[in-house]
Parts: sequence; structure tokens; C-alpha cells
Amino acid sequence: MNPIDDDTLQAYVDGELDAAATAGIDAALAHDEVLARRVRQARALRAQLKAAFDPVLDEPVPAHLSALLRSASPQVLIAATPLPTHIARRGFGAGRHRASHRWLVPGAAVAASIAVLAVALWWKQGGDLVRMHDGQQFAAGALSRALDQGLASAPDPHASIAIGLSFRSADGNICRTFVQRTRPAMAGLACHEAAGWSLPVLSAAEKPAGGELRQAASSLPPAVQAAIDARIKGEAFDAKQERAARDAGWH
Amino acid sequence: MDPSQTVREGLLPLLPRLRRLARALAGQVADADDLVQIVLERALARAAQWRPDAALDTWVFAIARNAWRDELRARGRSQNLFAPEEAGVTATDGASAPAQTLDLAQAMATLPPDHREVVALVLVEGLSYSEAAELMEVPVGTVTSRLARARATLQAHLGKDT
Repeated sequence: MNPIDDDTLQAYVDGELDAAATAGIDAALAHDEVLARRVRQARALRAQLKAAFDPVLDEPVPAHLSALLRSASPQVLIAATPLPTHIARRGFGAGRHRASHRWLVPGAAVAASIAVLAVALWWKQGGDLVRMHDGQQFAAGALSRALDQGLASAPDPHASIAIGLSFRSADGNICRTFVQRTRPAMAGLACHEAAGWSLPVLSAAEKPAGGELRQAASSLPPAVQAAIDARIKGEAFDAKQERAARDAGWH
Repeated sequence: MDPSQTVREGLLPLLPRLRRLARALAGQVADADDLVQIVLERALARAAQWRPDAALDTWVFAIARNAWRDELRARGRSQNLFAPEEAGVTATDGASAPAQTLDLAQAMATLPPDHREVVALVLVEGLSYSEAAELMEVPVGTVTSRLARARATLQAHLGKDT
């Protein structure tokens, strides 16, 4: 019978015991060969794990990973689709295909509230996608339909509105991000309320200089990202949660 | 200061460790680096949620752990992968491969996720039990019991030399 149980022994090996308990085991090791062997085994396992995984530290970091962090422009990468869904659709190891699901939208271009106001006016004129109700902006027309029906987990490549993240906000309402693919490229956050999809944030998502909106990466304008950060409670919905929320009428 | 810039700069030196953690969790190099990419995107998207008084490494490791769990769920294999607590020990009884690195990676792959993540966080990344417990949102006692079972499984896989 051994007085040192496995939990204590591993805590010893992992350096989790206080000084007195450590000294106790140190002393016991001197005359307890069985205990000494168990300690050697546990230490050998630690050493093998180090040997197996530490070489990763010396590998060069793939450029596409460090580039995400070195990005000189202040654009912020965020998935246009909920991440779990995204992963579910392609699985790990399909990295070369992943780019097609993203949007490159530099966020730097827009920040000022003046710009956001101008955006709202633009939208109202442009396509009846926004209606006013009690002094608040609400989604209308195609935007409202996309928010009601669209699933990021089952995107319609031809739809003019792409749905991004869906999540429950701290006040209990479900919110969804969206991007208008046609010009003017817009992005925003919509939150489901009794009167419809309110639009606390609308922002221009300008096309990159010298090119079309490329499906190369994705981002939301900082104003939209900040609105998400201010509201989100818990994780963004995965595909199943998104579908369930739609089936429940976004309540 | 722009929190996203702070996080971005802070994550750069953590990349090698993040890749090591991802390797321990996901196994294959390609899977692991896909996981790292997802983690970085999530971390940048949530940079505003990081508080400077929280350690950036455990913050981003928590994102990595959750992203990995999401990925397991999304694969729809959760029924198979999330083995009962006891299965970790019994499933490998009798297996005794030579103690080599490759076998260790294989042995890791046989661990149920609850066990694999605690090995990755504590034994590979060197987090303390309490850091791992906080990150996994479980009591410290759960960390120690899972770790002990995971060790027994790995030990059984690797044979009992020494």
C-alpha cells in the first residue's frame, strides 16, 4: 500500500505542491523504491511530451499566420460567416478553399459618425433597405428579408445581402451582422426587436483601392465591430443555433 | 490605445506557443495551423474584450481551446470523441508501443477531448492547474483527476519502461 496517491504524486511532479508537501515526498523518495519509480515514469512522460511538441517552437511560423498579425493597414479580420459553421462546412485541412468565403473590406475608411449618418441617408435613397420607426432605423425590403431568412451556414452566393455572425446580445435580443455585396458596399448590425430588425449601426464598407470587392478575406468596419463587442454575450451562434433561432422567429 | 493593435502586437511573439498548443490539440500540422488561423481571427475580432490585466497567453489559449471544441462539435463526431471519463483509461489497456515521439502523438490522438486538452495545457504548455481550471471553466479537482487519467492512458500506450 502506498500512502502517496496519484493526484498528489502528479502534483509533485508538476510542481504544484507547496514546499512542505514537496519536502515530504522528497524524503519519502529516498527509501521508497516504488514511489521513486512512479515519479520517474511521470517525469519521463513529461519529458517525452516536451520532446514531441517543443520542436514546434523552432519551426518557422507560416507566413500567412504571421501576416494576419503584421497587417500594416488597420483593417480587422473577422469572419463573414460564423466560425463554427465555417469550419463545419470545410473542416480543417481545407485551408486553400477557405478564402472564397471571406470578404475583404478595409475598415479604416470609415469611423466618423458623420460618415455613418451619410451612409444611412444613402441607403434610404438607394434601395428602400432602411425605414424609420419612432426615430429609429429599421431594416426594410430585401435587407429585412435577408435578415429574416438568410443563414450564414447556407449562404446564397447570388443574394445581394450576406449574413455574417449571429449572436444573442446582453439585452436578450438576437443580433446579426450583414454586408451588402452590391455597391455601395455596406455593412451593419441588426438586432431583432418587436418592431423588426433595428439597425444600431450602418457603415460603409468601401472597396479596396483599385479593385473590386474581393472575396479574399473578411472584415467588418470598426464601427460594426465595436457594436458587436458592446453587445455580444457568450459566443456567436454555430450553424445549428442559427437555424434554430430562425425557426423560432429570432426570439 | 487601440486594443486591437495591442493584441495584435502581443500575439506575434505568442505564435510559436499557439502553434505548439494547436499541434497538441489537433494533431496534424495542417489541422493545427488551420486552428491557429481561426484563433487569430477570433482573437482580433474580440480584441476589445481583452483586458490588459489578463495574461494574453491564457486569454488566447482559451480562445484556441474553445475553437478546437467548436471544431469537434462541428464535425459532428462529438458522440464518438467525447468518451466517458473512465474510457480514457480502459480503452488502451494492453497497448504497449515503444516510447517514441510518433507514438506519443498517436497516443494523444486517442485521448478523449477532455483529457487531451488538459495534457496540452498543463504538460505541453506548462500552465498551472489553476490557470488550466480557469481556462477550461472547471474546478481544479477536475483538472487533476482528468490529468491523472490522461497520464495513465498515455503511460499505458507508451509502455512501462524505466
